[in-house]
Amino acid sequence: MDFGLSEEQTLFRDALRGFLDEQFPVDSVRQLIAAERSQSTELLRKLGEQGVPGILIPGAQGGSELGLLDAVVAAEELGRAANPLSFHSSCVMAPLALRHAADSRAEDALKAIAAGEQRHSCVHAGVDLVDGRLAGSARFVPDAMEADAFVVLAAGDAGSTLHLVESDRAGLSREPLVTVDETRRVGELSFEDVEAEPLASLAVADTERLIDAGRIALAADAVGSAQRALDEAVAYSLDRKQFGRVIGSFQAVKHMCAEAVAELEPVRSLLWYAAFVWDERREDSSAVASLLKAHATEVATTVTTTCVQVFGGMGFTDECDVQLWFKRAGYDRQMLGSPTALRAQAAEFDAWL
Amino acid sequence: MDLSYGPEYDEFRARVRAFLESHADRAPAASISAAEDRPEIRQWQKTLIDHGYAARTVPREYGGFGADPDLLETIIIGEEFARAGISQGMENQGISMFVPTLLTYGDEEQKKRWIEPTIRGELIWCQGYSEPDAGSDLASLRTSAVLDGDQFVINGQKIWTSSAGEADMMFALVRTEADAPRHAGISYLCVDMKSPGLEVRPLKTMLGTSSFNEVFFEDVRTPRGNLIGKRGQGWEIGTTTLFHERNMLGGSRQTENMLRRCEAVLRDTGALAEPIYRDRLMRLRGRVLSMKYHGLRMLTDRLKSRSSGAAGLITKLNGCQLNHEVAALAIDALGEYGVLKRGSKYVREEGNWQNQYMFTLGLIIGGGTAQIQKNIISERGLGMPREPKPAPSRD
Repeated sequence: MDFGLSEEQTLFRDALRGFLDEQFPVDSVRQLIAAERSQSTELLRKLGEQGVPGILIPGAQGGSELGLLDAVVAAEELGRAANPLSFHSSCVMAPLALRHAADSRAEDALKAIAAGEQRHSCVHAGVDLVDGRLAGSARFVPDAMEADAFVVLAAGDAGSTLHLVESDRAGLSREPLVTVDETRRVGELSFEDVEAEPLASLAVADTERLIDAGRIALAADAVGSAQRALDEAVAYSLDRKQFGRVIGSFQAVKHMCAEAVAELEPVRSLLWYAAFVWDERREDSSAVASLLKAHATEVATTVTTTCVQVFGGMGFTDECDVQLWFKRAGYDRQMLGSPTALRAQAAEFDAWL
Repeated sequence: MDLSYGPEYDEFRARVRAFLESHADRAPAASISAAEDRPEIRQWQKTLIDHGYAARTVPREYGGFGADPDLLETIIIGEEFARAGISQGMENQGISMFVPTLLTYGDEEQKKRWIEPTIRGELIWCQGYSEPDAGSDLASLRTSAVLDGDQFVINGQKIWTSSAGEADMMFALVRTEADAPRHAGISYLCVDMKSPGLEVRPLKTMLGTSSFNEVFFEDVRTPRGNLIGKRGQGWEIGTTTLFHERNMLGGSRQTENMLRRCEAVLRDTGALAEPIYRDRLMRLRGRVLSMKYHGLRMLTDRLKSRSSGAAGLITKLNGCQLNHEVAALAIDALGEYGVLKRGSKYVREEGNWQNQYMFTLGLIIGGGTAQIQKNIISERGLGMPREPKPAPSRD
C-alpha cells in the first residue's frame, strides 16, 4: 500500500515549485498580461529545460515518457504559479493525440514540444473532415493566437482523424476570445477548405481518453490555484491587523480557512487516484475523471471565493493577486465540461464504489 | 502509487477467509450491535481472541493474542469480516479506548487486573470526561478527587456518558490538584460504578432513546491504586485516547455503505430517474470518493510514520458532515414517507433514515464539535493563532 506521490514525484514537485517561484513569479505573469501576451519564447524554452512539456512524450522524441500522475504534479504547480502555459492542451492533450500517429511529422512535432521549441494546441471538437478537406470552427481553443501548430481531431464516420495544421496554413483563420482568466488565452479557429492529411485514426474511446486526461489536468490546475489562494490568504490573515489583533486570530476567519482545507485536501487525494486509474486504464477511469473535474473545480471555486473574502476589500482589487487564482479556477471550471454536465455524464457509469 | 497490499498480505487475507468460512455456521452476524451485551457475542469474542481477530495486539500475559501491531493486517481483518457479514465481536469504550491507554500508562498490577476481563467483555467500562460546564473546554473540568488515606474521595458530575447504566467501571478525568494550573491539575482515575454515592441518570436524546447518561458523584470513594499514571498526568493520558476516538468517528467505509443504501432508496422511489436527484447523488459521490482515497493517503502516511499535516486533521469534520447529508438525501427521496418514525403505518426502511439523520447530527457535535475541529485544523494545520482569552467575566 503506497497511495500518493513517489519520492521522485515529490522531488520533481519541489524542484518545479522552486524554479517557478524564482524564474516566473506572479509579477512576470502580470507583465505578460499587461503586454496582452501569453506567449513567451523564453518561458516555453525554460519549462522545456525542466522537462515540463515532455512528461507524456516518449524518450525517443526527447520526452521523459512518464504518466499522467507525473503530469498532474506539474499541472498543480503551474496552477499554483498562475503560469501562462495552457498545459492541459499543449502538454497533455496534444502530445497524447500525436502519439497515435506513426509518422515522422508527428514525431518531429513531439520533439519540438518536448524541447520547448514549439507550442501545439489540441482542437478536439468542431472540425469535420469533408471530402478530404478540413471545415468547421472550433471555439475556446487554448493558445489559438499563440500556438505554432494545431493538433486537430476531425470528426469522421467512425471516430476521428488526426491532423497537424500549422497556424499559417491557407484557409485557417484565428480570432482571440477574451476570458476572465487573463493568465491563459483562448480563441476561435475557422477552417475553410483547409488541406488535410490524416496522420492517424482515433476511435471514439481514444478521443474520450484524451479529453479525460485534459479534464484531470484542469482539475490539477484548479487544486493548485485553490491551494495557492489559500496559502496567500492564511499568510495575509497573520499579517493584517484589525481591532488590535491579526485577523487570523478570529475564529470567523480561522473557520473559513479550516473549511477550505477540509474541502481541498480530499480533492487532491481524488486527483491522484484519477490520474493513477487513467494511467492504469481501469474501467472506471473515465467516470472518475468526470466526477473529479466536476468536484475539484467546484471546490476550487468555493475555496478561492473564501480566500478573496479573507483579503476583505483588497481581495476585490486588481492589485491583489488572489483574484488571479479566483479567475483561474473559473476557467478550469468551464473548460471541457462544467460541473453539472460532467456529473450527469459520470452518472451513466453504474459500477461505482 | 500502489493500491495493493502486497503478496505477503494475500496469504494473511486467505487465512482470515479460511477462518471465517470454517466458523460461518456459529458466527453472529455483523448486524447485531457490537455494543449489545449478549452471551453469543461474548462466546464469539473468546473465539476471536484465541484466533487473533480480537485484542490482536494485546500481549499474551494480559489475555490477548500478542501479535505485533500491523495496520494492514488490522484493515484486512475489518474488510474480510465486513465482506462475510460476520460480527467482529465486542466493541466498547473499554476495549477501544481504555485498554490501549492502560497498556501505555498503567502499572503491572492494573494491567493484570483489568485488561483480560475487559477484552473478554466481562468488564464493561464507560468514559467520564465531559461535564456540564466542561464540554469543548474540557480542561476546565471541576469534578474533584481528594486523597484521604488510601482512597480518593470524588465529588462532582459527568455528562454525555454512554453505557453508564450497563458499565461496571468508569475511567474518568478528575481534578486532584486544586492549586495547579488547569491542565496540570487533572488525573486519570478509575471508579467502580456500584460505589456508594454514585448515581446514574439517563439522558433522553432527540432520538427518544437514552444513549447517554448523567453521572453524579457524592463523596464516592475509590482506591488510590485506581489512579492511572501519575497525579496531574490525566490530561496527557486522556487526550491521547481522544485522538483515537476521532479517527474512529469519521471512517469512510461507513459513509460508503450509507451512500450505497441511499442510492438504493433513490432507485426504489424512482428519484434516481430525475436529473436533479442524480446530481445530488453524484455530488455526494464525488465527496465520498474523495474521502475514500484520502483515507488511503492517510493510511500511507501512517505506514511510513510520516506526518499528514493539515490533511490529517479533517477526517472527523468531513466524515460526520457527509453522513448527515447522505441521510438527508434519502429522506428527501422518500417525500412525505420520509417523516414517518419506526412503528408508524406506512413507515419505510423502519424509519432508519430519520434516526440516522439525527444520530449523525449528534456525531457532528460529539467527540469534539465541528467548531472545535475547525479550531484544531486552523491552529495545528495552518499555524493560525488561538483566539485570545477575553477579560475575565465579573461573576
